[in-house]
Amino acid sequence: MGIVRFIIRRLIFMVVLVIGVSILIFFMINAIGNPIEILLAERPGISPEVIESVKQYYRLDRSLTEQYLSWLGNVLHLNFGNSIVYNQPVGSMLVTWGWETVKIQVLAILISLALAIFIGVTAATRQYSKIDFGVMSTALLGRSLPGFFLGILLILTFSYWLGIFPSYGAYSTRSPLMGSALLDSLWHMVLPVMMLTYFNTATLTLLIRSNMVDVLRMDFIMAARASGLSAGRVVYRHALKNAFIPALTYLAILFGLMLGTAPVTETVFTWPGLGFLYITAIQQLDYPVIMGENLIITLMLVIANLLTDIAYVFIDPRIRLE
Amino acid sequence: MQDDLIRIEKMVKFYPVMRRGIFRSKQTGVIRAVDNVTFSIRRGETLGLVGESGCGKTTTARALLYLTAPTSGRAHFQGTDIIEVFERGAKEEILRIRRRLQYVFQDPYLSLNPRWSIAETVLEPFRVHRHLPENQWDDRLMELLELVGLEYYHAWRYPHEFSGGQRQRVGIARALAVEPRFLICDEPVSSLDVSVRAQILNLLIELQEKLGLTYLYISHDLSSVRFISDRVAVMYLGKIVEIAAVDELFARPLHHYTYALLTAIPIPEPDADRGHSVLKGEVPSAVNPPPGCRFHPRCEAALPQCREMPVELAPAGDEHLVACHNPR
Ligand SMILES: Nc1ncnc2c1ncn2[C@@H]1O[C@H](COP(=O)(O)OP(=O)(O)OP(=O)(O)O)[C@@H](O)[C@H]1O
Ligand code: SF4
Ligand SMILES: [Mg+2]
Repeated sequence: MGIVRFIIRRLIFMVVLVIGVSILIFFMINAIGNPIEILLAERPGISPEVIESVKQYYRLDRSLTEQYLSWLGNVLHLNFGNSIVYNQPVGSMLVTWGWETVKIQVLAILISLALAIFIGVTAATRQYSKIDFGVMSTALLGRSLPGFFLGILLILTFSYWLGIFPSYGAYSTRSPLMGSALLDSLWHMVLPVMMLTYFNTATLTLLIRSNMVDVLRMDFIMAARASGLSAGRVVYRHALKNAFIPALTYLAILFGLMLGTAPVTETVFTWPGLGFLYITAIQQLDYPVIMGENLIITLMLVIANLLTDIAYVFIDPRIRLE
Repeated sequence: MQDDLIRIEKMVKFYPVMRRGIFRSKQTGVIRAVDNVTFSIRRGETLGLVGESGCGKTTTARALLYLTAPTSGRAHFQGTDIIEVFERGAKEEILRIRRRLQYVFQDPYLSLNPRWSIAETVLEPFRVHRHLPENQWDDRLMELLELVGLEYYHAWRYPHEFSGGQRQRVGIARALAVEPRFLICDEPVSSLDVSVRAQILNLLIELQEKLGLTYLYISHDLSSVRFISDRVAVMYLGKIVEIAAVDELFARPLHHYTYALLTAIPIPEPDADRGHSVLKGEVPSAVNPPPGCRFHPRCEAALPQCREMPVELAPAGDEHLVACHNPR
């Protein structure tokens, strides 16, 4: 099967999946309650006329099916509706808040990829050495630590005790660091990126190390050595690529699930990103925001999946698309 | 002997036995995989190396090529101490030795990089050694594939598109790419279908004649050893226990282990005295090998001194060496 036909088929499947997920989420939100009830609970004195006009404004007086279809129709015109809490267009909110999330997440993934390859290879080529034990224990510890715990440790150490990095926000409220907006932004990114990097690196390192150990045991590694290839070149030419391919899936998951891990990090560091927005939107049942974020999460996951499948074809000659 | 191409002297390879703790591991013993092994391989001959699984055949071969560093011992190739070269020699000198000594692996499913085409695999030694200008690589690749009975169009295929026998041909082509003098064939047919074993063995014999190669043929299958070898060395628990010309060894095994192996061959041997002496008992551990003759717990002819007195190879007849206190 040609790669073009494969991609087209997967794209069609993606559309179906995305619509299915959005239907599910929409009706689930409404099963929990609606924003008007929350509004009423917060301000019991509001008059029925005001409530009626608010309902009309947000089209909450229509049937659920009608509401969903009008949401879907608008989305097709790239109109995601207005946030009930912030009264701003959801589309532009997703972009501005999304940038803050993508900034720290992508940086963390790139750093952890470089670290994991370096550490994983070092540990694998020295299997059972002290270095290997140290790497394995640190990584295992890293995976079993709850996310917020490490975040709090980082804040305690670097903000509270040492006082060198800010503990919350993405920008200084008063004057930026050394008068530079870029430096100020990077300065705020340090702790959240550290936290994310640690978790990504832990799992990626373990994966790369164990794959590498398996590959290094293979006879074709021995054969390359017998050909006269130096140990370093053997690792680079034969082992790394073979060891890296299984880790590719995890890398794709990291990208796809970027928004899944965002809420914890962004809550700990009060980071104005999609994760933080998501939590507040759920608390207020701000359904246009929830729906918009869900759409993006689903799309990112399926796209990451598709890209991995395509990448495999180019890396591994044994794989044929079905 | 003057016409020795390879001479292995007092080769020893111990593997540490580690007990792994949480923070560190402790060495609790050693596996004596290869324990003081000495033998020579003559120019142009095939020396068969037989023994049960785990007796140290592969380790001997890999230590010889320094694919695993030997614990101690020497190996000579045409009079050069190659272990010395591998340990301390200049890069060019190491490459010169590597070119001459090559290895064909047991399992062709593991010995070819699954993500490399056949051309990439066979041409890799060219990239390392640069012994041919690049514009001749294509012609040489064609020659090599033809030599091992493959077609030129196979070059752009990947290992998974081949049968086991064809893969083993690729492994042989890769070994031949650098024009070696000496080939270690480590159970080259044992992972293949019975129907293709003879083809590969015949190919090896044909290549030996055509290219003047010397082989170390490793196997636990005595019938293939008998088919291809000129002389045979028998290994037991890290030690060589007997070496003789193939006909001599099969007709007149002196060591009781050799005899037991021979009587265990499944094919009928009309002229052999089919004794009752099939191997009994487990192979003892190479971690704590029995003192004295390592075969004594399983030997019916064991004498009291077999339990304590170590025994080394000694001449017993015409170019026949045996390590036994009470040979048959
Ligand atoms: N890398 C290693 N680390 C530790 N022990 C090893 C290693 N390689 C081999 N051994 C041990 O050394 C001994 C000899 O192994 P070797 O592979 O040389 O046997 P073999 O005669 O080639 O057996 P087979 O017929 O199964 O290939 C075995 O006890 C094995 O467990
Ligand atoms: S040395 Fe003794 S135990 Fe060993 S094979 Fe000979 S007779 Fe048997
Ligand atoms: Mg072996």
